[in-house]
Parts: sequence; structure tokens; C-alpha cells
Amino acid sequence: MKKGVLPVLGLVLAFGLGSLWAVQATRSEGGGLLFDSAWWLVFLAPFLGVLAAGLTRRRDPRIEGDKVLRHNGAARLEHWTHGLGTALLLATGVGLGFLFVPRLVRDTDGVWLMMNLHFVGVAVFLFGTFYYAANTIISAYRFREHLPTGNAFSFTVHYGKLLGVKKFTMPPEDKYFESEKMAYILAILASVGVILSGIVKVLAHLMELPAWLVSAATPVHGVSTIAMLLFFLAHVFFSSVLPMSWPVLRSMFTGYVPREYAEKEHAGWYKRLSDSDDAATTAGKGA
Amino acid sequence: MSEVKDINPAGEGSKGLSRRQFMGGIGALGALGVIGGAVAQVFLLPDEVIAYPISGGFLLVDQKKCSGCSTCMAACAIAHHGAANHSLARIQITQNPFKAFPYDIDPVQCWQCDECTQACPTGAMHVDPETGVRTVDQMRCIGCLRCVAACPRAVSAVQWDEQTHASQKCDLCLDTPFMDDEGGVNGRRACESVCPMRAITFTTDLPEQTEDDYSPNLRTENWTSFGYVADIEG
Repeated sequence: MKKGVLPVLGLVLAFGLGSLWAVQATRSEGGGLLFDSAWWLVFLAPFLGVLAAGLTRRRDPRIEGDKVLRHNGAARLEHWTHGLGTALLLATGVGLGFLFVPRLVRDTDGVWLMMNLHFVGVAVFLFGTFYYAANTIISAYRFREHLPTGNAFSFTVHYGKLLGVKKFTMPPEDKYFESEKMAYILAILASVGVILSGIVKVLAHLMELPAWLVSAATPVHGVSTIAMLLFFLAHVFFSSVLPMSWPVLRSMFTGYVPREYAEKEHAGWYKRLSDSDDAATTAGKGA
Repeated sequence: MSEVKDINPAGEGSKGLSRRQFMGGIGALGALGVIGGAVAQVFLLPDEVIAYPISGGFLLVDQKKCSGCSTCMAACAIAHHGAANHSLARIQITQNPFKAFPYDIDPVQCWQCDECTQACPTGAMHVDPETGVRTVDQMRCIGCLRCVAACPRAVSAVQWDEQTHASQKCDLCLDTPFMDDEGGVNGRRACESVCPMRAITFTTDLPEQTEDDYSPNLRTENWTSFGYVADIEG
């Protein structure tokens, strides 16, 4: 079996079996809420993510012939668990209604099914997010790669030229575009907000919390959801709909982008990789 | 293709505990702790026995006296929400012209039992310690609708409030920001005080029970002054 198949299989199983579990719990007598009966999974998932990070050996980006390794297996697992978990959470969250969004499901069965599917999304999302967070702590330089630099404004404004100027040259972007790096800050804030407020909401099932805490968690969860939804829609558009991003989308499945693409769209990153390759070759010859 | 090796800076090779090993340890310990806690909760902790104090009273509606004017619904919504909106009323009067008297009118008001309170996973639906009234702390409600489903009435006496995204139910006017008078068990109930037929009353006595419902009789002597029979056999 190919090494990359295992995470895919795990994801399919998590969503498939999780959805079946959600349906079965909803149909049980009195309508079981997984947030009540299986609360422990909400707290287990983050630790499993951290444990998985401890067991993961990652390969760093490198130039390999006519292609460049951009997303190693761990990056792909982080992305799809976090992303698909977020998608399920957003869909079920919108169905349940929040802030000014009216509830779309009217009957109790529908509400319970939505809540149980939300639970499945929570488990997958927390695993993926904490897997990413622990991986980032292990390799802090990956976090720095995501942070905006002094070029954030000038590089991002530069894209405006794409609209009408024929002789457009890409600024020497690093691994992530400066615009992506700014959106990353929003994604982190939204994730932290949604996780902290969500944990309060789950804890309310287990213990008596002060009313002000639960009442504060609900709007924070809603506002974080709005931020997450905006980020999610923008991310899907810029990473999947725009043709210029298709090579990166493919690399989220295969791990690799064409060398030509990296040279053109991510000149700064490509130069960094070339320099480190040269340094490694020189060091190898020296030894 | 050149051999690909892990060049992660946090990899093994350095002395002591690497960041990766530390993370693995934290993850394993945490996972074991959560699993252990969940297992211990199942086997070690005894089942909780919760006793709910009885309510200080409840509303009765005489089906045979009710004309279905829905004034009570408007009054309830106005007293609680400041709007004459039937969807916001905590007492619901439904009418079915295809049914014979007195079943053509079906009043649904809260009996102040404790089914909804027991069903609530967060304690939002609770018993007011002073009055015994079953009421909702909407700030704690997570909107799971378990209380709505748990209500023994054919039409639930607990409703989903779309405005606040929380459950709501009759609190005997304990919390009525749009009513000047004091409500609650010892106060004034909006629906009761506006009913033109005097078909609603607050009581602390259990009325005559049928197989699955109460059968209140509020047709007193005053009822005859309207030209009706004082006690209609149902």
C-alpha cells in the first residue's frame, strides 16, 4: 500500500463512520446528542493530534528534478483534516443558525442530526488543528514562513496590475503569497475564537458554568464563525477556482508543484530552495 | 532522484529530549488521561439522583369555556417580548374546525411538570429556587431542543425563540419586562388577567384528571350570567 493512502483512508473512515454514528445517535430513543454521550472525544481529539505530530517525520520542501516538493504528507493531512472539518462545521453551524442567521432545520430530529454531524466535524477539526499546531511548535520556522513581512502591502497591491497591465511580473513571493500570510492571521484568530468558545459550550454539557461565560461563548462562537466563513470562502475561491492556483491545488493531493511554476510564481521561495540545495551540494563535496 | 531524508531541525540527533519526542509524550499522556477519565466516570461515579421541588402552581385552561380569541397569546407575547406576535406566545391556542366541541379548540399551556428540566443538558431549563417555576435561563441555552421534545403535551409547551436562538416557555410571568405589574406565582399572569371568557386560571390544586390530560371546570355560577349552562358534562 502506498504511504499516502493511509491518511486518505483515515479521513474517509472518520467522515463516513462519523456520519453513520451521528445518524444512528439521532435515531436512538429520545434522540442522543453525541456532545452528551461522547464528550470525551472532543478532548481526546486534540491530544491525538499532538501525539500524531510527535510520531510524524516530515520532509522539508526541496527541488527534485523538474518538480518541487511543496506539501509533504503531514502538510496534506493537516490541511484536509482542518479544511474538511471546517467545511462540515460551517455547513452544520449555518443549518443550526447563529447570530443573525436563522435556523434552517425546524424539527427536533433535524436539529439533533445537525448537532451530531457538528460533533463529527469538531472531532476531525480539532485533530487536524492540533496536529498542525504541534507540528508548527516542532518546526517553528514553518510558522515564521506564514507570517506577513514588510512586503505585505507592496506585493499585494502589485496584483492589481494583473487586471490590465500586459507586462506584469510577479513580485518575488516566498512560499506563501503576502496576501495569504495576512489571511493566515485572520484564520488563526478565527480558529482560536471558535475553539475556546466551543470548548466552553461543550463544557456546559458536563458541569455547571457561570451563565455569563456560556452567554459570552455563544456570540464569540458566532463572530468567529463569520470570520471563519469569510476566510473559507476566500480561500476556496483563490486556491481552487482561480486557474493560477491550480498547480498548488494539485500539490495538495500529490505534494509537488512544477519547477517552472515555483520559479515564476514563488521566485523568492525558489531562490531560497536553490540556495539551500547549492549549500548542501557544496557541503557534500567538502566532506 | 536523490534520496530524500528528513532535514527537520527539530529531529533526533541532539542530546536530551527533542521537541518531537516532547510533543509525542504530551499527546500520549493527554490521550491516556482523557480515556482514563471517561472510563472512570462510567465505572466509579454513582448515578445522579436529582429531585425537583414541586411548582408553586400552574395555569389551567377550560377548553369548554375558551372561545379561541387568542387574546391570551397576544398578551403573553406583549408582556414578554413587547410585540403582539402569536409566534412568540408561550401559551398556544390552536383551533380545528373539523373537530366537534369542545375538541375544536386545543389550548396548550405549561403544566409546570419537570420533564423539560430533566432533559436539558446544560441546566438552562431550571426550577426557580424561590417560586418553583420551571423557566429558561436563555443565556445558558445551547438550542438543542431536547426540552421541546421532552414536553409531554401533544404540542410542545416549550418553543424555540428564533429571535434569541434559545428555548422559551411559560414562566407564570416571572420575567416580564413589558408588564408593569409583578408576575409570578403570587403576582399577575398576563394571559389570565386578559382572558375575556375567564377560561384561564392559576391554581395550586390538581384538577380532575382524564387518561392523558386534565379536565378543568371553570364554569362557575358567573358563567350562567352569560346565558350559558354552569356545568356542562363533557
